[in-house]
Amino acid sequence: MSSLSTPDSAFPAAPLPGAEAHAAAVRRRERRAQWHIAFLLVFVLGPLVVYPLARLVLLSLSGTHGLSLQAYATFFGNPDSRGVIGTTLWILCLSAGLASVLGVAIAAILFFKPFPGARLVTRFLELFVAFPSFLVAFTLIFLYGSQGSVSIGLQRLFHLQAPPLDFLFGIGGVVLAEVVFYAPFVVRPTLAAFSLLDMRLIEAARSLGANNRMVAARVILPLAWPGIAAGTILCFLLTFNEFGILLVLGSAHLVTLPVAIYSSATVDLDLPTAAAGAVVMLAMSLSLYALYRRVNRRSHGGARNGK
Amino acid sequence: MANNPATNPVAAASDHIALPPKHLRARPVERSALARIGSGVLLALAALLCFWLFVLPVIVVALSSVASHWSGTILPDGYSTRWFERLDSSDFDALVTSLEVGFGVAALGTALGLWLALALEGRDRRGLGAIADALAMVPNGVPSVVLGLAVLIAYHKAPVDLSSSAAIVVFVQLALVLPFCYRCAAAGLRPELTVLREAAASLGAPPAMVLRRVVLPQLVPAIRASLALGFAISLGELGATLTVYPPGFATVPIVVVGAVERGYYLPASALSLILLIVSLAALSLIAARAPRRRAG
Repeated sequence: MSSLSTPDSAFPAAPLPGAEAHAAAVRRRERRAQWHIAFLLVFVLGPLVVYPLARLVLLSLSGTHGLSLQAYATFFGNPDSRGVIGTTLWILCLSAGLASVLGVAIAAILFFKPFPGARLVTRFLELFVAFPSFLVAFTLIFLYGSQGSVSIGLQRLFHLQAPPLDFLFGIGGVVLAEVVFYAPFVVRPTLAAFSLLDMRLIEAARSLGANNRMVAARVILPLAWPGIAAGTILCFLLTFNEFGILLVLGSAHLVTLPVAIYSSATVDLDLPTAAAGAVVMLAMSLSLYALYRRVNRRSHGGARNGK
Repeated sequence: MANNPATNPVAAASDHIALPPKHLRARPVERSALARIGSGVLLALAALLCFWLFVLPVIVVALSSVASHWSGTILPDGYSTRWFERLDSSDFDALVTSLEVGFGVAALGTALGLWLALALEGRDRRGLGAIADALAMVPNGVPSVVLGLAVLIAYHKAPVDLSSSAAIVVFVQLALVLPFCYRCAAAGLRPELTVLREAAASLGAPPAMVLRRVVLPQLVPAIRASLALGFAISLGELGATLTVYPPGFATVPIVVVGAVERGYYLPASALSLILLIVSLAALSLIAARAPRRRAG
């Protein structure tokens, strides 16, 4: 740390030269490691992460002369994007909430009552990481679009005049696609949390006469809670950051924050306005992310050996 | 599974006072036939739901790409490979761009992630190390469109102008995959392996030799996982790439979304099936080598 106290001479005249030299070597190594980290910060993380985000914030705040909030006023004063934050948050809560409930339920069934083929489903859930989100939205068109399989099937089944389903290109389709795509992201951390449970506690509860509901509410949930919370917050974060589904299914009728940012950047070519929207979105998602890091660190109990 | 508690005495942590056992509420678990049928039906429904939600989309992409026509019917009218034959040069250009960018991002991201993980090992809790750790993970919490816009603003004109080459696509995707690669490498640097490294260093091996002969062989599984993950994420990335890509450097997701928006569903399926197969092949590298200790 303090470079003055480090002896520069190689052979200090001390009663225990070995220990001195060793301490000096340790201190030198530590100082070199700190310089190494500083180098990485300046030459790797700086240009990759810090500089672009700093430029983004600066651009959103710069007016014709000096500091101004003009860009924010333009972005949120646009009649097309009025209430855009409300819409985005409403979609977020609806779809991430449903995805979390569904994901925890599926994980509970897969773990506590595995049905035939449960292993296959678990594998598919792991492969979902490789499935781009816009593809999910795209496959839903074949299934639930007004000319899709399910729609036509229902029409034939009930002898209807017209295909009954016409909700896909709007809030319904967006929520459905986000639930399908993000539920697996809750399933995996929840399964991991369940597999850390001490099964003896569950057996003990049962032997003391607890029924299923009591075991779930009084034993499993309190113990697996940190893992489930981390998975849920992650799901909210990923859903908030989603873009492909909103672009494919929602761009026509539904103005959401990412789509509004994208269109004012690439269609209107108005970078300062887009930057203003982006800064607002960045603040929201980074605070969600900070919450996730906090909860996740706690759920690993400080000792980070399970990562 | 938990119906036989007698053979499994519970080692409760708080048995400070040994009370005499009073089995007031212990009774065999009885379930009526109705309850059993009910739970069976519930389980079957859950299995169906899982299949419907998670397996069906994959089947639909595969099915639609070989359908000759699929609109207004439950199953496709007929099957043909004509959508694959009709992929034109711009589609193949997109595929080549995607693969090149993917390889570049995976390789660079893995190298950077490894570098960061090695530099921050054991120092990521305080001081500079904690800042670097937090900054390396920040792209995880940044929406892809916002990151794309930020990179576009920062590098679209002098002094650093990347906006007319594929470099900007690689750059933005590199920022996006960095947290994943860093996590992979950091998870591979387990404390019990540190001892080996320190032993090698104490026996007089120079740092380069320690890196080449001890550290990298230890990290082979983590490196493979990081490469595959970076590749798969890069192939499927849409938001950031769409915001920054220069003309002529469209990747497969951009072409697919463009086709979907114009209503060309079946050609888009053919292209996305190819994309999916490539990225599944990359991910199967992880599955083949995944260290089976995900549960902690």
